Amino acid sequence: MSEVQVLKPQKTWSHLAARRRKPSEYDIVSTNLHYNNRDANAPYELAPELFMNQWYKQNTFGTALKHADWNAFRDPDEVIYRTYNLMQDGQETYVFGLFDQFNQREHDKSLDARWAGTLARLYTPARYLFHTLQMASAYVGQVSPASTITNCHYFQMADSLRWLSHTAYRTKELSLTFTDKGLGQDERHYWEQDSAWQGFRELMEKVLTVWDWGEAIIVLNMIAKPAVDEAVLRRLGEAARHNGDVLLGLLTDAQLMDVARHRRWLAAFTKMALETEGNKELIQSWIEKWQPLADKAIDAYCSALPDVPNAAEAAKTATRELGF
Amino acid sequence: MALLNRMEWYNLARTTNWTPTYVTEDELFPPSLSGDFDLPLTAWEVYDEPYKQTYPEYVKVQREKDAGAYSVKAALERSRIFENADPGWKSVMKAHYGAIARGEYAAASAEARMMRFSKAPGMRNMSTLGCMDEIRHGQMQLYFPHEHVSKDRQMDWAFKAYDTNEWAMIAARHFFDDIMMTRDAISVSIMLTFSFETGFTNMQFLGLAADAAEAGDHTFANLISSIQTDESRHAQIGGPALKILIANGKKAEAQKRVDIALWGAWKLFSVLTGPIMDYYTPLEHRKQSFKEFMEEWIVAQFERALTDMGLDLPWYWDIFLQELNDTHHGMHLGSYFWRPTVWWNPAAGVTPEERAWLEEKYPGWNETWGECWDVFIDNVVDGNMEKTYPETLPYVCNMCQLPILGVPGKKWNVKDYPLDYNGRLYHFGSEVDRWCFQQDPERYAGHMSIVDRFLAGMIQPMNLEGALKYMNIAPGECGDDAHNYAWAETYRALRETRKAANA
Repeated sequence: MSEVQVLKPQKTWSHLAARRRKPSEYDIVSTNLHYNNRDANAPYELAPELFMNQWYKQNTFGTALKHADWNAFRDPDEVIYRTYNLMQDGQETYVFGLFDQFNQREHDKSLDARWAGTLARLYTPARYLFHTLQMASAYVGQVSPASTITNCHYFQMADSLRWLSHTAYRTKELSLTFTDKGLGQDERHYWEQDSAWQGFRELMEKVLTVWDWGEAIIVLNMIAKPAVDEAVLRRLGEAARHNGDVLLGLLTDAQLMDVARHRRWLAAFTKMALETEGNKELIQSWIEKWQPLADKAIDAYCSALPDVPNAAEAAKTATRELGF
Repeated sequence: MALLNRMEWYNLARTTNWTPTYVTEDELFPPSLSGDFDLPLTAWEVYDEPYKQTYPEYVKVQREKDAGAYSVKAALERSRIFENADPGWKSVMKAHYGAIARGEYAAASAEARMMRFSKAPGMRNMSTLGCMDEIRHGQMQLYFPHEHVSKDRQMDWAFKAYDTNEWAMIAARHFFDDIMMTRDAISVSIMLTFSFETGFTNMQFLGLAADAAEAGDHTFANLISSIQTDESRHAQIGGPALKILIANGKKAEAQKRVDIALWGAWKLFSVLTGPIMDYYTPLEHRKQSFKEFMEEWIVAQFERALTDMGLDLPWYWDIFLQELNDTHHGMHLGSYFWRPTVWWNPAAGVTPEERAWLEEKYPGWNETWGECWDVFIDNVVDGNMEKTYPETLPYVCNMCQLPILGVPGKKWNVKDYPLDYNGRLYHFGSEVDRWCFQQDPERYAGHMSIVDRFLAGMIQPMNLEGALKYMNIAPGECGDDAHNYAWAETYRALRETRKAANA
């Protein structure tokens, strides 16, 4: 019999051991964590033809957006669970500090009643919109082929809950000062009926039913979310500042810090996707397919925003700067 | 007033259902993914999670919890607890991390399924936090064992196990994939959170934490009890969903899901946790027997939870209570005998003192399981080591993927429960396993157990060597006796004494 080779301990997980550099905490706890790529016939350890196995075979592994090794993706910020909470607890302390200070100086009482009406129409219904982002990120995360891509989406999902929570908080608080604006009551009606929101509602309902992972990750992150970020955070924040609502301006600035982080991983992802021939054209075709809907959403929302000249153009230009 | 009380805005944050019009409700929430049980959005809006937490509370509390667990780890990093631990205890850690860490990470995606597809807005927000929790549990339970990876090749399996066809991992994946990875949102909430996390993770994380603290492994004890504080929050996601189903006349469908998940969890625990608690944990550190833990944490807990919910005890409750006496002893004997096929070193746990403890906890142990161990011990004492290793694979169940076994000795009762389905013959280890399969045969029928694969020629050569290769486990990783058979010396000495007395 041949000599039996006995495996020796290595400095790190065997799947990272071939590399020369010492793995970071991020590498150790974030990479190659999905196990549904072991068997192309059955992602999960059940009948290969089971509905959910077919779902993953088709939508995750069968997408036209190809890369030889999606597991090589790395989040440039290397966010892990532990650092996410450190970071966001600090951010929440800041935001709730703002809420506290502005409440003490009776900020809401200084707001114009007309602006309060605008908030009831164009700001507080955003909790529905942020929730659609939360749902869409949860979907893309669960069908992503690499845990490092999944994690970016789950943190983004949590960030959307964060924005939603700020919105719910402010809705309640504003309703205590402005009792006749339907605050805390009419948001669903605005979201479902008001012309300013219908573009975003159509966009998000349709984005939420894109099941192909490749198309979904592109459409959510390169089209839909940037439209929301630019119109409903950045331009609304501007409108707020122009209407004496310093608090909302500061709040959207704080939320835009999350957006900046999202865009850093997105840039790394698109760079990686372009390594595969054919992906550029494919992504371009998805952008062309979806951009009109996003533009329509931006137009409808921004045209209702008071005191921000060229809001729609500025927002649309900004979404295109994410291109490649 | 400066800041609002959380309950003043909490309800707004979970009022997020709307009526879609650009796509249909069924397109937005496909029934096969949302598991709406034919109930409209409005029926799910009464969902009320008992454990309420907001985003800012979450990130604050979780940051503090992490600070606690990681600082204990850092403080004890140079303590040589691992190096000095009883080899049986090291095996506990290896088995636990391998079977659990990446399964927990996968659970993040099961939570994300509930987040995206549940029609209950409260469930969607709680699952957002639950998803984050599971990332935590996956990441911590990779980071903590990584500290030991350079000392012991088997620790590599904390990461590697889920990528292999090691037999216990096939069983673990089959169970977790069945209850959490391939189900609709509502079924996940019933099967993963209500049926599995409420009782079983409590037992794994708190029961094992008690043993860990006894064994002096404070890092591990702290880690897993910290994890359990998250579990106890997100485990409550399923309860309100069950209430809605029952209120809408869907009790039978809810009950079926509970019964299937609970049985699968029991089988997995019988092979993973049973041997750990009754054989690997050093005798002096055992808080309770596995059966006692099960009775306190699982049996009593479920009897209460099911009654509170208006559900019935599973129809197989008597079979389950009977199995608490036996199954894990068989699983231990099996995994010990097939020790080259596991990534930890099983402790035999059968010194005379340990056998006395087993006999006390499980009256009749010596005349059943003990008889098998007598033969085994004789072979070790006689130096017939080749007889103490297997040559091929045990027969496994087509539902739980674990060996089909019975009680040996005077109570010998091994029995196969076969089923002919669509022209293929399936084998089950119990009436309950067969029943689970029959509830939804198409989920399972196309799956091949490791024995099916062996018989189909997928494992070559068709012997233990081929099986080890197939399982991707090699010398340096393969398990052997945790104490290098040192315990057999007692029996050798006993035999010498007897010989001298007879001379």
